[in-house]
Amino acid sequence: MSTAMNFSSKSFRPRAPDKGSFPLDHFGECKAFKEKFMTCLKDNSYDNSLCRLQSKEYLECRMDNQLMAKEPLEKLGFKDLLDKPSQENQVKP
Amino acid sequence: MICNSKSKVVCQFHVFVMLLSIFIRESLCYPKNSFLLTSTHSCIRGLQVQRAKGIHSYCQWFLCRRVPSRLNIQKRGVKSRKSQTRSQEDDWRKRNKTVLTYIAAAGVGMIGLSYAAVPLYRLYCQASGLGGTAVAGHNAEQVETMAPVKDRVLKITFNADTHASIQWNFRPQQSEIYVVPGETALAFYRAKNPTDKPVIGISTYNVVPFEAGQYFNKIQCFCFEEQRLNPKEEVDMPVFFYIDPEFDEDPRMARVDTITLSYTFFEAKEGQKLPLPGYSLTSQHS
Repeated sequence: MSTAMNFSSKSFRPRAPDKGSFPLDHFGECKAFKEKFMTCLKDNSYDNSLCRLQSKEYLECRMDNQLMAKEPLEKLGFKDLLDKPSQENQVKP
Repeated sequence: MICNSKSKVVCQFHVFVMLLSIFIRESLCYPKNSFLLTSTHSCIRGLQVQRAKGIHSYCQWFLCRRVPSRLNIQKRGVKSRKSQTRSQEDDWRKRNKTVLTYIAAAGVGMIGLSYAAVPLYRLYCQASGLGGTAVAGHNAEQVETMAPVKDRVLKITFNADTHASIQWNFRPQQSEIYVVPGETALAFYRAKNPTDKPVIGISTYNVVPFEAGQYFNKIQCFCFEEQRLNPKEEVDMPVFFYIDPEFDEDPRMARVDTITLSYTFFEAKEGQKLPLPGYSLTSQHS
């Protein structure tokens, strides 16, 4: 918690995560996806916008291995990544 | 002063002008006091006196007329003034009483308001979500519909701490990451238990600057729940978060370019549960 005892400053309040806590990946089932994501970050100078596909794949791996509650990817903010293939199909012909 | 026939006319004219001016003044100010009446009386008396005593004396009397007439007024109204002051005093007392009661009521009202402010403020905070209080159900739809603010790049730096009593090696796997508000991001921490005994840890987090903390929304992480690490085990701990797009519109955040996320792990005893801010422990992994 914050230790700044100022009268005017707002103290920081930790908030619980929206979907709770990730179960620990004790067996390293999604480690490969994590490594892909980390290499992508290192290659792109840690820019998150360029590595969203890898982060989507990591979360999908987690969901497949019961390490995360299954959610439609739009709810996790990956709507733009899901729309792209359908848009490409429409544009081509 | 030379007084002759001319000055007599002048004196009379003077009296007339003065009377006129007094009339005008009195009509403009309050018509209450009887100064005008007494002055006219004294004027008429003065004219009579003039006939008796002569011009010179009249003029002199006229010139120094003012002071005695004032004294006359005071002498004249003593009795009526006493009753007047009594009723005036009563009036003042009544007015004072009402004013005092109003002030007392206002004071009591202020005290009551200060007591009532506590639950009212809590309700207001829950409704508006200010100060970092959790707003239930608000964030789920927001993640779906929010649009990334592409022109505001923020650097998120990561920090990892452990409490002295826990022997884990806990560190972030990336030192920084560049995100934009409205875009979900993933980050990893790594924890290793080098001891020969299983250790249960529980973590909390902190965001600096404090005001940016209200825009830092975690979708899922590893905090506030007991995490058990077996002997010699090493795990990756992800944090899935996003910065609220409203961050870009807050004028206080205009100069904020770096946000630091800091996690601290503590050792947890079996069955110990940290009090969580508005979060129920019944939902997660069974």
